[in-house]
Amino acid sequence: MNLLVLMIALPLLTAFLLSSINRISTLAARWIGPLVLLATAVIGLSVWPQLGAAPLALQWGGFQAPLGITLYADQFALLFALAMTIGTLLLWPRSAENQLRSSSLALLLAGTGSGLALSGDLFNIYVFYELMTVVSYGLIAGRGTSGSFASTLRYLVISGFGAALALAGIALVYQATGTLNLAQLAQLAPEKLNNLQGFAAFVLMLIGFGVKAELFPVNMWVPEVYATASSRVSALLAGVVSKLALLIIMRLLILVFHQPEALTVLLVLGILGVASGELAAWRARDLNRMLAFSSIGQLGVMFIALSIPGNAGIFAALAVMVHHLFLKPSMFLLAERWGGSIEKLAGAARTSPIAAALFVLLALSLIGVPPLPGFWAKLLVIMPMLALDQPLYYLAVFVMLAAASLEANYLFRVVMKLYDKQPAATSHKVHATADLATALFLGGGLIAAVFMLVPLADRLDSIAAQATDVSTYIQTVAPQQLQSGRVQ
Amino acid sequence: MRRFTAALFLLGLGVMIAAIYQHMDFSNTAVNAGQAINAVAAEETGAANFVTSVVLAYRGIDTLLELTILFTAAMIGGMVLGRRRVDAPRDPDAGFILRTGADLLFPLLLVVGLYIILHGHLTPGGGFQGGVILASAFFLPLLARPGSSINQDVISIVEGLAGATFIIIGLLAMFDGKEFLTPLLDKGELGALISAGTLPILYLAVGIKVGSELAGLLAHLAEAEALD
Repeated sequence: MNLLVLMIALPLLTAFLLSSINRISTLAARWIGPLVLLATAVIGLSVWPQLGAAPLALQWGGFQAPLGITLYADQFALLFALAMTIGTLLLWPRSAENQLRSSSLALLLAGTGSGLALSGDLFNIYVFYELMTVVSYGLIAGRGTSGSFASTLRYLVISGFGAALALAGIALVYQATGTLNLAQLAQLAPEKLNNLQGFAAFVLMLIGFGVKAELFPVNMWVPEVYATASSRVSALLAGVVSKLALLIIMRLLILVFHQPEALTVLLVLGILGVASGELAAWRARDLNRMLAFSSIGQLGVMFIALSIPGNAGIFAALAVMVHHLFLKPSMFLLAERWGGSIEKLAGAARTSPIAAALFVLLALSLIGVPPLPGFWAKLLVIMPMLALDQPLYYLAVFVMLAAASLEANYLFRVVMKLYDKQPAATSHKVHATADLATALFLGGGLIAAVFMLVPLADRLDSIAAQATDVSTYIQTVAPQQLQSGRVQ
Repeated sequence: MRRFTAALFLLGLGVMIAAIYQHMDFSNTAVNAGQAINAVAAEETGAANFVTSVVLAYRGIDTLLELTILFTAAMIGGMVLGRRRVDAPRDPDAGFILRTGADLLFPLLLVVGLYIILHGHLTPGGGFQGGVILASAFFLPLLARPGSSINQDVISIVEGLAGATFIIIGLLAMFDGKEFLTPLLDKGELGALISAGTLPILYLAVGIKVGSELAGLLAHLAEAEALD
């Protein structure tokens, strides 16, 4: 027994009971959600140190793997479970009209995201992923504008398509191996999945789970959704949820799929994502859309990093993910009051100097100007690719550097507008205190990382090393061998 | 551009399916998990219906998540649907036969639904199937009399409490020092109505939850404005 399952169970329980609680006391209904998330975050943090020594495997319902469902917690998984919980807490949705429903959805998102990160069973991952998708429909449509309904519909169609592909991929894996437990799959994969069927399963699951990870070409929903959803929801989806989808792909890559072709697919799609995302961001004339496209580009960098064989790739991807985890939500919060055409931003720095200064720092880190963390993250991706000495990896480096100059161009265009001497005709809105404080907290944390780069890098390296340790994964879960036999 | 991408994707998918079809060994599918469950399920869970033992015990967390998906979908449905103008026209009441039929069917559907839910651990059926029948029992009167309505507040409280029951039973196992969602209570005699520990209680919660959610969702759909 371990309290870790409460990170999943308690938010779900609270979400179910919220409308009953609201009957008794509206005040309690308003505060119980954040309090529960605080409690689950504390539970997660208290487990964190013990996972450094050895990862932990739990069996839901106490049934032995592979018949029962495994929950596998290492620091890699817990990092993102905590990111989901704390991220939801910081970006708690505030809507006047639908507060009760938004609170329920936020709780469900936190519980589901934690479960997704910690799950060790392929079908269980699929169900968590589906639930997270349905919750995000609600969060996006929760704004109640016709634009948000239209973008939700587009997101729904693409997600449904992706889910069908992912399910087909899972079916292929199950057909070949007869198990869904990731530890057992890791045992069987070299023998049974190192073939065309395994590769097909990987591509199907990559595209399916890639929908949320903003993978090229299934990212058509991104600009519309981030432009129409509320900025807190955009920050959650772009900042945290996309990383969870990436985490599944990383787990599959580490444990199950070892084909070199899989890495090539990741590399090509990553390059296309960076190129298309950054070019579209460069052409965008609206801050929210620009950030959405640039997030596609950033996720592309993560896919490129994943395509580097061995620990170096996972380490680099983890560094870029953590950087983006702090940076993107902060930028979306700043964009809350700066929506619409960029032209209207002229002189906005005068009315909100702190926000403008923070935006400049974040933009510099996003481009990758030393000594900000973004530079080191990109360096971790580029260095091992140069060492590999292969044409496609050189192309990836070239695209990343070209993308950085594009990023510099469009972000400085915004910064120049912010500090324009001639203010726009319309007056600028000042940021809500809560938004600005959260943005400062996240952005400040990112900038503060400059002063402890070496210990942070060591920590991330040890997390990556633990995540890539397949034999420990198998031993910790220790699935029992099933008698093989034919259908009678 | 979009058509080109779509064509490229379909081509890729087609090649992939063809290749898989060539290579897949259809005669030798690994179904080891099924046999393993057949061997141990009766002893470990006490449910005569092994499908139920998979749904509620071995993969109980998946079922909880499916319930949550339904809960979320119903909630979003309530958020998006069911807005009508005050003066919007309603469908007229159905004829005498449908109204009387609905009244007569109501108790029958209730009994059948509950029977299927309560025997879920013994015979095919269970909370999901029985829940749908319960929902139809409450929805049929709405079809017969479009002017009447279901109290959505009551529904949201009932579904919340049913879902909470599922989780609380899971949490009780943790107080006992076991893992979350471990079946509790005495397993009883295989095949008896009162057997399989907490599984029937879980299925009852599932049934009530599915029933109230579907009824609520259908009522929201019925609330939508009638076409002229």
